[in-house]
Amino acid sequence: MTDVELTENIKQALGAKALEVTNPDRRRIFVRIAAVDLVAAATILRDGFDCRYLATISGLDKGETFEILYHFASPAANINLRTEILKAAPRIESVTPVIPGAVLYERELQDMFGMVIEHIPDPRPLVVPDDWPAGNYPLRKDWKFERPQEIIPGGKS
Amino acid sequence: MKFQIPIGPQHPALKEPISLRMTVEGEVIRDADIRLGYNHRGLEKLAEEKTWIQNIYLTERICGICSHSHTSCYVQGVERLMELVPPKRGMSIRYLVSELERIHSHLLWLGVAGHEAGFDSFFMYTWRDREVVMDLLELISGNRVHYAMNTIGGVRRDIDDGQKAKILEGIVTLRKRSAYYFHIGANEPSFVGRLAGVGRLTKEQAVSLCAVGPTARASGITRDVRKDDPYAVYDELDFEVGTADSCDVLGRVVVRVKELMESYKICEQILWKLPPGDIAVKAPRKAKPNEAVARYEAPRGENIHYIKSNGSDKPERLKVRAPTLANYPATVEMLKNGFIADIPLIFAAIDPCICCAERTVSLVNIRNGEETVVRLGELRQQAIDRHKNAPPKRNAVWPF
Repeated sequence: MTDVELTENIKQALGAKALEVTNPDRRRIFVRIAAVDLVAAATILRDGFDCRYLATISGLDKGETFEILYHFASPAANINLRTEILKAAPRIESVTPVIPGAVLYERELQDMFGMVIEHIPDPRPLVVPDDWPAGNYPLRKDWKFERPQEIIPGGKS
Repeated sequence: MKFQIPIGPQHPALKEPISLRMTVEGEVIRDADIRLGYNHRGLEKLAEEKTWIQNIYLTERICGICSHSHTSCYVQGVERLMELVPPKRGMSIRYLVSELERIHSHLLWLGVAGHEAGFDSFFMYTWRDREVVMDLLELISGNRVHYAMNTIGGVRRDIDDGQKAKILEGIVTLRKRSAYYFHIGANEPSFVGRLAGVGRLTKEQAVSLCAVGPTARASGITRDVRKDDPYAVYDELDFEVGTADSCDVLGRVVVRVKELMESYKICEQILWKLPPGDIAVKAPRKAKPNEAVARYEAPRGENIHYIKSNGSDKPERLKVRAPTLANYPATVEMLKNGFIADIPLIFAAIDPCICCAERTVSLVNIRNGEETVVRLGELRQQAIDRHKNAPPKRNAVWPF
């Protein structure tokens, strides 16, 4: 199946859910969907296009919104589902009922962007330390790392 | 009565030290829980503050074993962003180094597997042979760990006819030795019996948990980016994807052995038809707003980088997913219903770094809080002792 046929098939299968389907490069297809259609679209891709393998999930801070990309891979192509959620209400449904292997990537999104993944089976922090201050989300663009001032006990002699 | 055993997080030689908490019932592991982040370096944030060129050297330092994999994946993505077409010769050299790196990684891993199974001569032989490929990498790049070969638009060093002849010579030696040792490994019933049936991961589990690399291929999934999404030179090369259906540690050994043989083949093919010409094209300093997904088959599985540019000389976002992270959910499944004695072997089966160093394991009795600290070396010794007197599995055979 060529990329053009695959793009057409995805457009048809997703119907009105697909807001935009592009094929910028060989074996790379980007599909933009609304956040509410995420689980439905993932199910269609999994069952209809052999996308049982989710390579990873990327988050991106776009100022007012967060963009989330679900990088699926089928033997034919790399299909990326793109969706946006508001930064003020960063809630998105978990895809783990469809793809159980997604749990680590979703936990990473929670830690790094402060998104709330609804119905995630395991909501614990993944990469941040236990004593990480609440409300610090490192991959948000407005978060800057400030190195704490080094204090030598007893002072320099 | 159930106990919990914490393992880690002090794993000094591993790029991602992890902590595992095993719930055990007697000798049998009932549940495993993974905690990560002990060595999270905030690399994705740092990458947003560095230029395209600086990031090559940053991504190289993600891992000490597959350092070339991460830079190759990154430059593949950046070349797509900048719409550069690197010259053929540069591409051939880049992927020659990739395959040599795969050989060194797999030889290292096979040695570790032999060591964990109590077959130390196997470990010493494979590690001696690994020196041959390490010398070849040093000959090409001048370095043994961080080769610094990649640049945006090609590679940084050319190879001459003398080096080419030496690499071909080295591959002949490696192939001969590998074939001989693997013959020994395959015909050693205690070694095969120790690996067979350990760390089971069914095909369905491997698919649903998104396992990658040799871990997935040992469960019968033909998933290899070099075949599925052939980048650069791979669509012109003749090689096969090694798989096994036994779904256990033995299968993972077999897959890696098959891949070694295929890598020797690929290296020779690349060298035989190494085209003349330039090794790199000049890359612009800035990239126009664009995005790219780069996929690369690292020794441990698929590497994926998502790169987005915003028109400046720095990336807007660089997302890195290393293959080990993708294999963690599968590891939990492998450990379930296994024995404590098999922990080192199952760990070693997904990641070659984890058993390089001696570590401590503490056994905690939750009832009275009594804690016993065992060094991983002793745990390994216990494992070997446990299997020393076990009757060999008569039906376990090397699946050639």
